[in-house]
Amino acid sequence: MKNYSKEHLHFLQKQRFNVFFTHFCRILLLFCIFLIWEIVANAGIVDPFITSSPSRIFKEIARIAKDGNLFYHSWVTLKETLIAFFISSLAGFVIAVILYVIPPVRKIIEPYLIVLNSLPKVALGPLIIVWVGAGSKAIITMGVLICIVVTTISILNGFVNTNVEQIKLMKTLGANPTQILFKLIMPSNLANIISVLKINVGLAWVGVIMGEYLNSSAGLGYLIVYGGQVFNLNLVMAGVVILCVLASIMYFIIAGIETIVAKKTGSNN
Amino acid sequence: MLKLDNISLIYHSKLGETQALKNLSLSVNDGEFVSIVGPSGCGKSTILNIISGLIKTSSGSVILDGQVVSKPNSKIGYMFQRDNLFEWLNILSNVKLGLVVQKKATKENVSYAKNLLAKYGLGDFTNHHPSNLSGGMRQRVALIRTLATKPEILLLDEPFSALDYQTRLIVQDDVYKIIRDEHKTAILVTHDIGEAVAMSDKIFILSKRPGTIKKIVTTNFDSNLTPFERRKQANFNTYFDEIWEELA
Repeated sequence: MKNYSKEHLHFLQKQRFNVFFTHFCRILLLFCIFLIWEIVANAGIVDPFITSSPSRIFKEIARIAKDGNLFYHSWVTLKETLIAFFISSLAGFVIAVILYVIPPVRKIIEPYLIVLNSLPKVALGPLIIVWVGAGSKAIITMGVLICIVVTTISILNGFVNTNVEQIKLMKTLGANPTQILFKLIMPSNLANIISVLKINVGLAWVGVIMGEYLNSSAGLGYLIVYGGQVFNLNLVMAGVVILCVLASIMYFIIAGIETIVAKKTGSNN
Repeated sequence: MLKLDNISLIYHSKLGETQALKNLSLSVNDGEFVSIVGPSGCGKSTILNIISGLIKTSSGSVILDGQVVSKPNSKIGYMFQRDNLFEWLNILSNVKLGLVVQKKATKENVSYAKNLLAKYGLGDFTNHHPSNLSGGMRQRVALIRTLATKPEILLLDEPFSALDYQTRLIVQDDVYKIIRDEHKTAILVTHDIGEAVAMSDKIFILSKRPGTIKKIVTTNFDSNLTPFERRKQANFNTYFDEIWEELA
């Protein structure tokens, strides 16, 4: 340990305290919300039949965990989300590369991308069901459709904005277009690509749950819709809580990868 | 020897055409350090782009050692205003970039690059990333990256203008020394008259657009002097004024 001045030690201490304080307040806030919710529900100030309550949600999760529904439905949704996420990320990346490498095609396709991007993909739901059939396939297709356009546009944008002078440098070194793509464009866009993936995780969940709302016989989306239809709000809330947890875990995995990449590439941000 | 023979260049854009260079001829001998100065927008950097084969002339040709240059050529190295080091590569990998691209990353060539790094005070930084280096060190790395492929001619496109004044004077000395030690021919484009006089054997003064050679000033300093020492010589100011008059 280095010999710091008293003032600096004080500064460090204060900073550590600030970090601790923020974390503490976050947890406290969640705890307070749950506590107040529980109290007003139990006291009959709000109707727990409509609002549910933390203890009821917890009991409901325990119940569906026991009869195996929790794991089954979570797995169905998680599987669909992962497949939609990987297909859309990979396909979006490949399309972005193709459009970048062939500028005339990029120019021609551009307006189509913009229209597709602004189109609410859910509107295509009935078409998807007719075309690919109801069930998992339709749900994954919905997830892919929601993610792929944004992925393509964001990755392509990053490629197009690659430092012009670095491209010129590569050319003066005698690099061919393939070398420029693999040695400059792709590595310099790695951070951007990962941040696109981070957005994609959220979107894949949106797409899959949307798909499950439209048509499904399994999955968390199905569970939530079913709960709503039979007026079991505890089940609806339980579904939402499980979704929150799963989506956060996936997000933090990508965020972790982002940190590792940032460290490896030596970038400071 | 490098020769530019009667070069003209017309830029085309939606708004019309612009004659950037007109009947420009110049020649640079092997081992010579020359500068190109001129009013802004006169096409100084364009000349380097043409020499490097990045853009084609409307008429006239670039001849290097008796051969016409029409595309980027490993005999010609380019150094930019910014170092353009790749942040995701360490210093050694950055320096090896040209060798890798040209598929010449042999043991021999890589150790040549490593030796250059060691010789010019960067030996301890081969595994560091560019973000850990100062601006002056980064520009030295950029020069060594250019030298690693063993070009005969270095094109320097205002390589010091992004540095603060003090660093600039130091890096000018460094770069000058490296180029002299490695016996390279150098063509420096700059808007800094002092820099041109301090570093070059010969200075080409360009006219306003369309650019053409207006005057050539040949400097005469003791060959052992560094650019910084040259600035303190009596004739430094004479050359400076001579160029200043031409540009005014």
